[in-house]
Amino acid sequence: MSGDARGWRIALVPDVLVNPPDRVGGPDVMRVVEQEGYGVLHLPPTAGIGDPGLLLAVIADQVAEYAHHGYAVVAIGVPHEVDHGLHWTRLSALLRHRRIPLPPRHVIGTEDAAVEEQRLAAFLAGHDIPEEEQRRWRV
Amino acid sequence: MAEGSRKVAFVANCLLNQNAKVCQGAHYPGVVTPVVQELRARGYAVNQLPCPELAFAGVRRWWAVYEQYDTPVYRAHCRRLAQAIAPSIEACLRRGDDVILIGLDGSPSTGVRFTSSRPDWGGRPDRTEDDWAIEPRRGVWIEELEAELERRGLPRLPATGWAMDMGRYDEEGSRRDLEEFLDAHEARVATAADGAS
Repeated sequence: MSGDARGWRIALVPDVLVNPPDRVGGPDVMRVVEQEGYGVLHLPPTAGIGDPGLLLAVIADQVAEYAHHGYAVVAIGVPHEVDHGLHWTRLSALLRHRRIPLPPRHVIGTEDAAVEEQRLAAFLAGHDIPEEEQRRWRV
Repeated sequence: MAEGSRKVAFVANCLLNQNAKVCQGAHYPGVVTPVVQELRARGYAVNQLPCPELAFAGVRRWWAVYEQYDTPVYRAHCRRLAQAIAPSIEACLRRGDDVILIGLDGSPSTGVRFTSSRPDWGGRPDRTEDDWAIEPRRGVWIEELEAELERRGLPRLPATGWAMDMGRYDEEGSRRDLEEFLDAHEARVATAADGAS
């Protein structure tokens, strides 16, 4: 795809990491995701917007489209949130229904922010689809 | 703004994920950094709209203009997506949040100030030049999203578009546009707050 800068890798990111309530002290997940060249699929908050079922189905449709066409998809979760903030129980059911393997997950730990950022960066840098699949799609 | 309320920006899907762009349309690996930086620096929470084209025509779709997406079935698809995201927008507005919309100018779907138009476009996609016109109107997705918000009795959101699909992409110009929009919007919000106090 000449002249196209896409990174072919996408991270499912919970709302609490896209919009952390207190930006001081915790790892800056969005900055790391940007630096590693990932796009973001933003998962809705786990409370306060009613039933997000239809929105999760729409997100699952997007994940399926990417997974079928040579894109790598991962998920980043948070501790101390139901389903790691990822709506994982419902989302995984939706993905299974679409015959999509569940994306690998990285859960942010509770260590120092710099350490957690390094761990996340290593996880993101180390993940991609097999080279054979990359050659098939990424031309 | 009510006490405890937030500043919230609902942004075009591809501003957080350039992988959603049409083939040869991505200008960044993933996140459109200048948009996110500017919004975060001003204290906005960022929410992502669904991408209607990706879910409808797929990630390997051809480029298109407004008229090609202006079909009953595509509009029905956009209405479904609008029904998926509207509850989030409604929750923010009911809470008293300051909510804005950042689309993608030039896009046939997500254009806010401008969309791409050429009624006779179609057939084999072998044109070497971008020979469509840029028209001052909403894209199809934004039209349907605004219609859904209106059905819910919600006000039209203050909105602008990041000028990525206007032909030659000018990041600095787009950044200035966004800053001007945000400056003007924040001035209006401050004036309204002064008037209310």
